[in-house]
Amino acid sequence: MSVIVKEKLMESVTGFNEDTVRAASTSKNEPAWMLDLRLRAWRMFEEMEWPKATDESWRRTRLTGFDLENFQPFATPGVENGRAALNDVMTHELDEMESAASIVFQDGGPLYRDASEDLASKGVIFTDLQTAVREHPELVRKHFMTTVVKPESNKFTALHAALWDTGAFIYIPRNVRVELPLQVILNQATAGAGGYHHTLLVAEEGAEVTVVDDLLGGKDGLQSSVVELVVGDNSVVRYMNLQDFDHSTWNFLTGRAAMGRNSDLRWIQVSWGSRLTKAFLDLEMLDEGGHGELLGIYFPTGRQHIDHETLQVHRAPHCFSDLLFNGALKDKAHSVYMGIIQVLPGAQKTDAFQRNGNLILDSGARADSIPGLEIEADDVRCTHAATAAQVEDEYVFYLMARGLTRAQAERMIVQGFFQAVLDRVPVESVVTKLERVIERKIGG
Amino acid sequence: MSVLEIRNLHAGVEGAKILKGVNLTLRSGEIHALMGPNGSGKSTLGYVIAGHPHYQVYDGDILLDGESILDMEADERTKAGIFLAFQYPVAVPGVSVANFLRTAVSNVRGYTDRARENGNNGTIGSNLMPMREFRRELNAKMKEFNVDPSFARRYLNDGFSGGEKKRTEVLQMAMLEPKFAILDESDSGLDIDALRVVADGINKLATPDRGFLLITHYQRILNYVKPDYVSIFYNGRVVQTGGPEVAHMLEERGYGWVEEEFGAEAQPA
Repeated sequence: MSVIVKEKLMESVTGFNEDTVRAASTSKNEPAWMLDLRLRAWRMFEEMEWPKATDESWRRTRLTGFDLENFQPFATPGVENGRAALNDVMTHELDEMESAASIVFQDGGPLYRDASEDLASKGVIFTDLQTAVREHPELVRKHFMTTVVKPESNKFTALHAALWDTGAFIYIPRNVRVELPLQVILNQATAGAGGYHHTLLVAEEGAEVTVVDDLLGGKDGLQSSVVELVVGDNSVVRYMNLQDFDHSTWNFLTGRAAMGRNSDLRWIQVSWGSRLTKAFLDLEMLDEGGHGELLGIYFPTGRQHIDHETLQVHRAPHCFSDLLFNGALKDKAHSVYMGIIQVLPGAQKTDAFQRNGNLILDSGARADSIPGLEIEADDVRCTHAATAAQVEDEYVFYLMARGLTRAQAERMIVQGFFQAVLDRVPVESVVTKLERVIERKIGG
Repeated sequence: MSVLEIRNLHAGVEGAKILKGVNLTLRSGEIHALMGPNGSGKSTLGYVIAGHPHYQVYDGDILLDGESILDMEADERTKAGIFLAFQYPVAVPGVSVANFLRTAVSNVRGYTDRARENGNNGTIGSNLMPMREFRRELNAKMKEFNVDPSFARRYLNDGFSGGEKKRTEVLQMAMLEPKFAILDESDSGLDIDALRVVADGINKLATPDRGFLLITHYQRILNYVKPDYVSIFYNGRVVQTGGPEVAHMLEERGYGWVEEEFGAEAQPA
């Protein structure tokens, strides 16, 4: 019965407009406050200008060929039907990781979930955001796009707030520790559709958690995701965003972590897929003693274009932030890295690092790297560095003179280049998976 | 008993001639020192023998047991038994010494080829020397050649001191067990202790089934490694060959007289 209703609703969705936003809300049986939030965001979206080539953030990443009218505004969710609903790829992803619990999303909604631990008895909430809106309205209202990432951040966050569909709500109460990772998988199966994946993680004081977001599919589609991490005082959060979309996806991501006193975060950002990615990733050190690491890897091939723009904001003294983004590029791929370390007045004894390395495997590939510092405190230690190197004959020859074939030598050099980040990925099965993708990308 | 024969070798890079008719024969069980001033082309000779793709051979040949190796890629030459220890080994971040050496040893000792012949490529690691066996041998050789066991897990040459790099080169040679080893200035930049360790490693590896070409600018290392032959290399060719007395003469007289005797007018037409 409900399926029929949804199908009828979908028929009426013909483009990006207010009716579409209302339909998105109605199809999820949302309370009025969420519909209001969506409508306000939609109006903001309509008022905001599209990025222009003269905007600093968009000078090197052009939206030529991008047109909202080319996408179905959102996809029809699949029906939750146990493991039978999963395809081989999703089943494999589930089986490879030893997780405390998993949620699989397909198109606009949840498709499957399982758990190996009784998380609810610890007060942990790990559910899809749609359910959380109904079951935990006070928590979601407090945190959803209110402080960490706001709808007005940029055009794509406004669109996201108006149309968000999949993604998990994760709440870890005070001093609760979840040892195994929580796994979220999104498979955007419908071609040509919009998707708006949201991750909202709230780690209360002294909580510990590891979350893996696995993003797949998205053929000819649009993905506009948001990641919000509330990293409470003394909490320890490990977050992995593994983007492996189809090479035809237009992918936009805005992610931010708000870090409390003595909190400890490691964020691993992997950008394998998409036709074009523009990712804004921010670490915000709000209170003393925070320790934040933002580590990224990317490997565009063909004509892929991958752009990461990062911000490390130090508002409080005695915080440490370390950023490392390493990318390899093949064929005619293009990458952009822009990063700023911002140290505000009073944030003394800041210790901040920023490094971007690029390994260029073909002469047609290009890597732009623009690091930057904005320092308004006088007792700080900040360093930044950008490197671009080719897999030079000297390296290949050295390894070949030890009996490695040219292919083995090149492979080893590229894998070695990513190792600095892989060494810091805290989940073994994720490391194995990333190594496999690197292998695949080197091979062709 | 093997022979590496360099016959009238002319080679260079981008049209420039660096080697101008090198004749040199190496035999198993012999240590042959090649001494010459900076810029005489000694390192180029090492690179050309090892098959560096930047260099072109214009004339002449290099024969290993009567077979030309000129058409072989660098890795094929290594498999055939030629090893070049680099003057400046490059650092390869993220690649551990053990991981790299296991792949290298597996190729050189034929594990990789056998796995391919058996159609065994499906299983991860099936094309490599068994891990246990490899580790046992690596550990033993690290001990024998004075390389700290922690180096197995360290990234290849990354952050190594000059002495550590040269010692690791000797360790690699010990693992790859070549028929002929060409050591390009393995003594340069080493303090006396490091030099002794490297020389000691070479002496341990100087078995009757292995030949050495010791490329060096200074006589210093020859106090620790006794050569059977010493050749003087000048302006892209061997100008004189003799016994250890040649090295002593160079130490006393320097290289100035070489230029006088084998300078411009003495160049081959």
